[in-house]
Amino acid sequence: MASLSATIQDVFNEPGCARNTHKSANEKKKGCTKQLQPGGAAGGCAFDGAKIALQPFTDVAHLVHGPIACEGNSWDNRGAASSGPAIWRTSFTTDLNETDVVFGGEKRLFKACKEIVEKYDPAAIFVYQTCVPAMIGDDINAVCKAASEKFGKPVIPVNAPGFVGPKNLGNKLAGEALLDHVIGTMEPEYTTPYDVNIIGEFNLSGELWQVKPLFDELGLRILSCISGDGRYQEAASAHRARAAMMVCSKAMINVARKMEDRYGIPYFEGSFYGVQDTSDSLRELARLLIERGAPAELRDRVEKVIAREEARAWAAISAYRPRFKGKKVLLITGGVKSWSVVAALQEAGLELVGTSVKKSTREDKERIKELMGQDAHMIKDMTPREMYKMLKEAKADIMLSGGRSQFIALKATMPWLDINQERHHAYMGYVGMVKLVQEIDKTLFNPVWQEVRRPAPWARAGDTWQDKALAQFEAEAAELAADPVKAEEARRARPVCLCKGVSLGSVEDAILDFGLTTVDGVKEKTDASGGCGACAIRIEEILEAGAFVGQPTQARNIAAE
Amino acid sequence: MSQNADHVLDHFDLFRGPEYQEMLANKRNLFENRRDPAEVERIREWAKTEEYKEKNFAREALTINPAKACQPLGAVFVAVGFEGTVPFVHGSQGCVAYYRSHFSRHFKEPTSCVSSSMTEDAAVFGGLNNMIDGLANTYNMYKPKMIAVSTTCMAEVIGDDLNAFIKTSKEKGSVPAEFDVPFAHTPAFVGSHITGYDNAMKGILQHFWDGKAGAAEKVERKPNNSINFLGGFDGYTVGNLREIKRIFNEMGIEYTILGDNSDVWDTPTDGEFRMYDGGTTLEAAANAVHARATISMQQYCTEKTLSFIADHGQEVVAFNHPVSVKATDRLLMEISRITGKEIPESLARERGRLVDAIADSSAHVHGKKFAIYGDPDLCYGLAEFLLELGAEPTTVLATNGGKDWAARMQALFDSSPYGKNCKVYPGKDLWHMRSLLFTDPVDFLIGNTYGKYLDRDTGTPLIRIGFPIFDRHHKHRYPVWGYQGGLNVLVTILDKIFDTMDLATNMPSKTDYSFDIIR
Repeated sequence: MASLSATIQDVFNEPGCARNTHKSANEKKKGCTKQLQPGGAAGGCAFDGAKIALQPFTDVAHLVHGPIACEGNSWDNRGAASSGPAIWRTSFTTDLNETDVVFGGEKRLFKACKEIVEKYDPAAIFVYQTCVPAMIGDDINAVCKAASEKFGKPVIPVNAPGFVGPKNLGNKLAGEALLDHVIGTMEPEYTTPYDVNIIGEFNLSGELWQVKPLFDELGLRILSCISGDGRYQEAASAHRARAAMMVCSKAMINVARKMEDRYGIPYFEGSFYGVQDTSDSLRELARLLIERGAPAELRDRVEKVIAREEARAWAAISAYRPRFKGKKVLLITGGVKSWSVVAALQEAGLELVGTSVKKSTREDKERIKELMGQDAHMIKDMTPREMYKMLKEAKADIMLSGGRSQFIALKATMPWLDINQERHHAYMGYVGMVKLVQEIDKTLFNPVWQEVRRPAPWARAGDTWQDKALAQFEAEAAELAADPVKAEEARRARPVCLCKGVSLGSVEDAILDFGLTTVDGVKEKTDASGGCGACAIRIEEILEAGAFVGQPTQARNIAAE
Repeated sequence: MSQNADHVLDHFDLFRGPEYQEMLANKRNLFENRRDPAEVERIREWAKTEEYKEKNFAREALTINPAKACQPLGAVFVAVGFEGTVPFVHGSQGCVAYYRSHFSRHFKEPTSCVSSSMTEDAAVFGGLNNMIDGLANTYNMYKPKMIAVSTTCMAEVIGDDLNAFIKTSKEKGSVPAEFDVPFAHTPAFVGSHITGYDNAMKGILQHFWDGKAGAAEKVERKPNNSINFLGGFDGYTVGNLREIKRIFNEMGIEYTILGDNSDVWDTPTDGEFRMYDGGTTLEAAANAVHARATISMQQYCTEKTLSFIADHGQEVVAFNHPVSVKATDRLLMEISRITGKEIPESLARERGRLVDAIADSSAHVHGKKFAIYGDPDLCYGLAEFLLELGAEPTTVLATNGGKDWAARMQALFDSSPYGKNCKVYPGKDLWHMRSLLFTDPVDFLIGNTYGKYLDRDTGTPLIRIGFPIFDRHHKHRYPVWGYQGGLNVLVTILDKIFDTMDLATNMPSKTDYSFDIIR
């Protein structure tokens, strides 16, 4: 069995990822996920990532091996939905204490497995390694192996202790656990030419169920969904599927790619967010199945369903046009970034005035320009002050974003709708888009926003923080306009690489001084993109923009965007 | 026997035992001349129809499940708010027992109140002797500083003249001549408890301001900077008055709460029984005439009182039980305008916090439909708040609401897009409400404890806001006024919304895919 560090290196070497294949050997070693910066406000750890990736397997007992911290703060914290078993929601932990830390927790873990089998008899037990037992040297692989043999029940080690890295790495390590111990260990009762896997879909708010009726109608059988509303036996026999759709690429690309390598199951990356994406995904599934021997008439049936569903959805969405006339949307999103969400919003008559590009690729940016025009605001980071400014200038009526931005939006008194995972509505599939438009409608016309924006009646003009922020904004802008030297300073001070703290000016200087033409060159001289590597695209853009000296400030600002 | 001395069952369990079940079934089958259950079921279903509603609304004589109480109840509410005052109800004692139990069940506190115990003779010959004896006994037994007299129907039907009776009683030595005995005629066959509040409050002010029924000089008004505050009949008086005092103190305002019953209905358990506690001092009540203005939180509770006060030269400002941000804004702005005091940063922050809480949770309230019943001002304040939250107060009903109130409610509906489908029902009762809940269903019902039957019969979850609340404890301690009060109302509404969500999703492996810990 591969060591944990070997597994991690293996995960980092992902040929299925376009971005990864472009990296140098050295870069690959660092992995594709942003490394944590000491002192920063960080996201979840690898354990958390592994747990949320696998927790939606509903007939499995998820046992967290560690002190109370890991499970105590996190149990049942995701809105994945189950159509039956409830044991996945029951919190199991070995709750390690001081004695365990001194003498080791392996026996306790073994006993915990025994008690789960005796009291609950689940389909399987997933054992999650955490920092403390990993550090004291508990060998969960060995314990799981012994427990499996002793109790005649799959006991699966999920080796992703928090310290190995961030959440996203944990997602992938969870995938490795499935590949190593689960997938291919059982046979399905029967197979059909229409068996498919859906990988990286978690059935949040039950949204997979909005698409499932279409699968049923078309006779497509979801052999296994990894992991939303999943069952152990389905995952174990997932290797017999004819084709696979990978929904959340960041989380589980290794699972899809390795299943293709090992079992010859072709996959594609698709999405059920948005009308067009849903149609494309259904078409692609049909194509892959037909390539692998399913009758060609499937294509016609799929097209028929698509035509019917699209017509219905567009009709429902376009009904909102009169209500949305003149309404403007600011889209700040990490998770739901399918471009057909944008298409749906536009179909409903909403105008997109800006979108975040923090996590976007160059292709994404091109796509934004294509859809929203050259003037589209691409926003990297937005402060409440800037948000308020957009709102005040009637540049946006509503913000769609993930839960993280929620409170900023609220404090900035911006109407806001959550479209990431902590939401309570299902936006998948054709009906999902209609639901999204409905929710936007509700949010836009919620009178609360008037209340939120209305200053206290006794507040004097200019006295509210909004007024003060705007005044400060204008003062700063005026100051820069009046003083070209200062403006240039401000422009050069903009950060390019947040990890290493490199400013635009330093990058430009390095390019000019050393005649650099490549990202690697810039990295060598300035350290920029030496952290998470996300700013490499920015550096490419700066390189493309060419020489800076003697250019008018406006052109430089475009480069700085 | 399921009941035995070793293990005594309470009523929840006892009557579910087999022998009781059998006994009750036998009684039903053998002696009750029982209706065909299918017919009962048919009628039950029919009572949910539009056809039944029409018949129900055509009712002329019968009131079924009224959402109001009688005038003297309001008079007692006022009287206990004054220092050392015994409410004295001239009339039959049974009525008075009701007021005491009604308040005690709501506030979970003793409520002292006496009656003149009129009997048949008094009904025939007039109640003068009962007044003479009653005042004397009350004075001697309870050592009050003031006895505030009101009436039950019995005294009103025979036309007892309180002014003359009290005068005669004083002449006969029941109480000293200078002892304060304000009075108000409060027949139950006119108005409701809010009318009683109005009459009793006016009666007390009149007593102190207009020369104590001829026993003293009329006070000459010398305007000062103070303001008077009238809460109106209010089930949240304990929490509300304390909150209002806190707000006034934050603003640095000189004020007089007229009828401050917040202490007498919230006495500590420390070994001492307090028949009287706190209350507006008699001196303050008398001096209230000099105030710059009087603010009433409930217009329909204080119509006569305010007009009386206005006649004495004060500015009067009435609100309709403000709960919403906007309404509290208006209240503070008015207070600030009248007193010239600035609204302090501390209150501005409280406002911001309420707005923040609304924004955090509004998605759950937005678009929901509500039926509300209660006193006219409370209905108005709650409906205004719901409209602010983007909810629809679809049905608003006040048994003691009149045409004027209905017009005001309609104007409120008209001011908001969420009021478009809302209707106001003045003078209707809870049986009307029952029909409405079937024919025009809503998501939630807001009302007092009696609403629990509507909740059960129609399946509309009840949010308990109003008076009386008998079956939940201590709600009266939490204000529903001020920004803090708005927050409490919001939380009360949200709690029920989330409880309802949980109840609808708690069946294992059936609905519990939405039984979420994060809402």
